[in-house]
Amino acid sequence: MFLKLLAAGLVYSVLQVVLRFKDDADLARRLKARDPHAMADLYDRYGRLAYSMILRVVRNSAVAEDLVQETFLRVWNRAQSFDPQRGALGPWILTVARNRAIDYLRSVDGRMSSGALDLDRLEHPGLFSDFEDSALSIDRARRLKAAFEKLNPHQRMVIELAYYEGLSQSEMADRMKQPLGTVKTWVRSALKALREDLSEAVSA
Amino acid sequence: MTCDELKDVYELYALGQLDGEEKEEADAHLDRGCAVCQSSLNQALALNAVVLTTSPDAKPPARLRHRVLASVGIERRRWGWAAGLAAACMLVVALWLGVQEQNRKAELDAARQTLMRVQGDRDRMLEAFRFLNQPETRQVGFQKGPRGNVFVNSRSGVLIIATNLPPLTPGRIFQMWLIPKGGAPRPAGLFTAGASGDAFHILSGPVDIAALGTVAVTVEPEAGSAAPTTTPIIAVPVAF
Repeated sequence: MFLKLLAAGLVYSVLQVVLRFKDDADLARRLKARDPHAMADLYDRYGRLAYSMILRVVRNSAVAEDLVQETFLRVWNRAQSFDPQRGALGPWILTVARNRAIDYLRSVDGRMSSGALDLDRLEHPGLFSDFEDSALSIDRARRLKAAFEKLNPHQRMVIELAYYEGLSQSEMADRMKQPLGTVKTWVRSALKALREDLSEAVSA
Repeated sequence: MTCDELKDVYELYALGQLDGEEKEEADAHLDRGCAVCQSSLNQALALNAVVLTTSPDAKPPARLRHRVLASVGIERRRWGWAAGLAAACMLVVALWLGVQEQNRKAELDAARQTLMRVQGDRDRMLEAFRFLNQPETRQVGFQKGPRGNVFVNSRSGVLIIATNLPPLTPGRIFQMWLIPKGGAPRPAGLFTAGASGDAFHILSGPVDIAALGTVAVTVEPEAGSAAPTTTPIIAVPVAF
């Protein structure tokens, strides 16, 4: 299991999508105005990204399709609270998509869904404000991949478990049969490394 | 816990996977509007989004787009597709009807032509019957190669009825000639034969029977000739 997860962590690849972040403001305005074409544009821009990410989590294309549909329905219904001037559509959609996928995993695993309310709160469109224009870009994705590859196997493992399996630190400790304190150290150091490499990239 | 100590937990917090004391502390900082922690959360959400873009690229099936747009009640393409299909069906039907119409028109034209030909044949036959029915009509038979009869009527003209005519090559036609005694052949009309080599041909109008020497038939170019260009296949001496 450990080796399998490790291998999964190594196949990170950069999505070859062009993330035109700047004209998202216009798209968001049209979404708020309930322009049907805006929904089509939104899907054309982020559908593949959302599908790829969800598929990685659930590993079942039929389930991934359902969850993508759920994701876009949710985004459509909540676009009213989105601030077109300050908001970042891409990160918001990815977060909504990821939460749908993790929710699904948890329900299938019969895991406690204690964070369900939190997830709902943590995908409120108001939170995705004042991001940099280049918050999502191919360049940043590349840099993140490079940073990820510099992590040690334990660090990669905890990142994998956090983002794509939705485990809390205590669940990771159980899964990896390691003390909670050790897991916390790996998580902190891994996130710190990713964060720093990414912010260096921004300032460079 | 200080804001600095919490700095490294906001990614997990944003993923909804922070628990225990750390979560309580983070909630407390955010609830009281701590600007540093708000900023940390903001950065964490951004980092998480970048991490999530690094999944292996997978192309969703085309139907997913329809599903997504239909689920929010704005899918017009499905109807567009149906309307397109309907339009295509109507086009096919229209084309089919058009083709049918064309076919019918062609059939009608063919029928009309057949009718005209049959009427023409009938008229010629009636003419031939009238010709034959006249008491003063005279008859001469022939039976070398083509067989048949030549009928001459001084008021009505000359009728030839023949069987066993040779098949015509494309672009050729039979031409009848009236050859006066001691004179040059005069053109007396063009005709073709049926598939079995049967034909009849009438030259209408008065004929100087006394001067007439021979009735002949040659094969000529289909426009006809002013004078025979081939050896006659029929040459019937008539002397009345």
